[in-house]
Amino acid sequence: MKHLLIVIAVLLCAAALPFALSPYSLRVMVLALISAIAVIGLCFAFGYAGLVDLGQAAFVGIGGYTAAILTTKLGFGFWQALPLALLAAGVFAVLIGAPMLRLRGHYLALATVGLNVTMEIITKNWEGLTGGEDGITSIPGVSIAGMPIATDRAYYFLALAFLVIAAGIGLALRASRFGRAMIAVRDDELAADACGVLVFRTKLTAFTLASVFGSLSGVLYAHYAGYISPGDFDSVRSITLLVMLIVGGEASILGAIGGAVLISFAPEWLRFLGTAYLTVFGIAIMLVLILAPEGAAGAARALRRRLRLA
Amino acid sequence: MDQFLQLLISGLAIGSVYAVIALSFEIAYEASGVVNFATGQLVTLGALIGASSMAYTKANVPVSYAGTLLAMAAVGVAFFLLVFQPLRSKPAVTIVIGTVAVGIAIQNSAQLVWGPLPAATASPVGAAVVQLGGVAIRAHALFVIAATMLLIGGVYLLLHHTPLGKQFRALAQDPDAARLMGIRVTRLHAVTWILVAALAGIAGLLLAPIWFIDVTMGDSLALKAFAAAIIGGFGSIPGAICGGILVGLAEILGASYISSAYKDALVFALMVGFLLVRPQGLFGERIGQRG
Repeated sequence: MKHLLIVIAVLLCAAALPFALSPYSLRVMVLALISAIAVIGLCFAFGYAGLVDLGQAAFVGIGGYTAAILTTKLGFGFWQALPLALLAAGVFAVLIGAPMLRLRGHYLALATVGLNVTMEIITKNWEGLTGGEDGITSIPGVSIAGMPIATDRAYYFLALAFLVIAAGIGLALRASRFGRAMIAVRDDELAADACGVLVFRTKLTAFTLASVFGSLSGVLYAHYAGYISPGDFDSVRSITLLVMLIVGGEASILGAIGGAVLISFAPEWLRFLGTAYLTVFGIAIMLVLILAPEGAAGAARALRRRLRLA
Repeated sequence: MDQFLQLLISGLAIGSVYAVIALSFEIAYEASGVVNFATGQLVTLGALIGASSMAYTKANVPVSYAGTLLAMAAVGVAFFLLVFQPLRSKPAVTIVIGTVAVGIAIQNSAQLVWGPLPAATASPVGAAVVQLGGVAIRAHALFVIAATMLLIGGVYLLLHHTPLGKQFRALAQDPDAARLMGIRVTRLHAVTWILVAALAGIAGLLLAPIWFIDVTMGDSLALKAFAAAIIGGFGSIPGAICGGILVGLAEILGASYISSAYKDALVFALMVGFLLVRPQGLFGERIGQRG
């Protein structure tokens, strides 16, 4: 009951937010919500199943490029392109994950970096399909039942709706048998295996789910921005997504959303630093890793424990 | 044939640089268990400091090279104190992300100091071209290959014929046992990071006259070194060297005979191929899944 009230309160705040933000902050907020969907995906792969995935942006890119190509070159609408983009990412994740997820720890980390960089190289060089460095322009907007989602405010609610669905799926998964299996694999593969968890299948499912969520984020991004290029999905982007997750708390859906919002707004708040921004950003991540390794969600938990004790 | 020989030499030269980077990466991993994702940024830093000191001393090679190595040793100490010590007891993933974060901070700081424009540096052997039969070879390529061979010999002697090397190998094998045997593990870690940064600095110095150096080249360099380490076998120093040279050859020959746009993708295909077919790499002793 108490949880339900909190959820309703958060949703009400989220619904009121676009009326309180400046137009520019609203734009940043929409991008934050879109990122949050990819970060929730990463929460499955990294937070739950413990796969060090430094290539999430590659799947965001698959979603973005699939949607952009289908809508600009083949005349698809958003709603026809969306399921195909999710399917494409899912199939690709299974095909590449099947060999790649045999690797563990930092071997997997290196392989996912390799995947992301390879994707960058392909999108930069396959000019006939992806437009090369110039990217793809004039990606059409979204319309629902003939009504175009033309304003930032309308798109905010579209992104919010998708985010709520994604978060709902995430929370439900966490509470399910599969969610417990993922956590078991993360904590101790051998023990999970001994308890009858199909370790490899659990990893592959987590990775595929992460990729599909990444793809959804990419589709929403492409149609919101109207323009995509290889730089939107490079390995720096993957690291940013992972940082969002870690800052929020690596195994927490709400933390993932909070981290996405925080890191999306960080450049705005730190604008006074000018070009030194990334130096401070890097140092700040180090400090989070050293001082609050469980992220904001972990810090909040610790604080709550302490308050209860006091 | 002449063209092939020419490409072979440039492939060997750039491969030698990758081998030195992979050596730095490998020593960090072996002696301190850290997969150093900031390796590429350390190389960039070495190249930039080298370029500046060459400009400052009016191309006095011994002074500027020594100055660069000293500066990189200081960077190594800073890395040890500010990055390794706070993170050493954390899980592997935290360390990976920590070094990524440090890499971002180094790269951005370098951009603030040196600016975004690429710079060219003169080679210590000048722009001379050596004629061997019908083949024209840049003297710098030969210099890089020779310097790398000397360096590898030096590292080999250090690791296998000095008391310090014995301590290093003990540390790599088992840090706890090493500590119990009276090895000052923390101090040895500090020396490790000096060595790691100095090797990265040397790679930067060798690279600067080959490429136009700019602050953003770190990531692509680091990825070549990772590929080299995986191809050669994680945790094997001869492997890192052979892997580096193979990556350099694949890059140069691939760029000329297959596709220059996809040369980096080719290196990755090679790496992924090794990961799938032979995860222990060429020389790896262990099963390729430690960590």
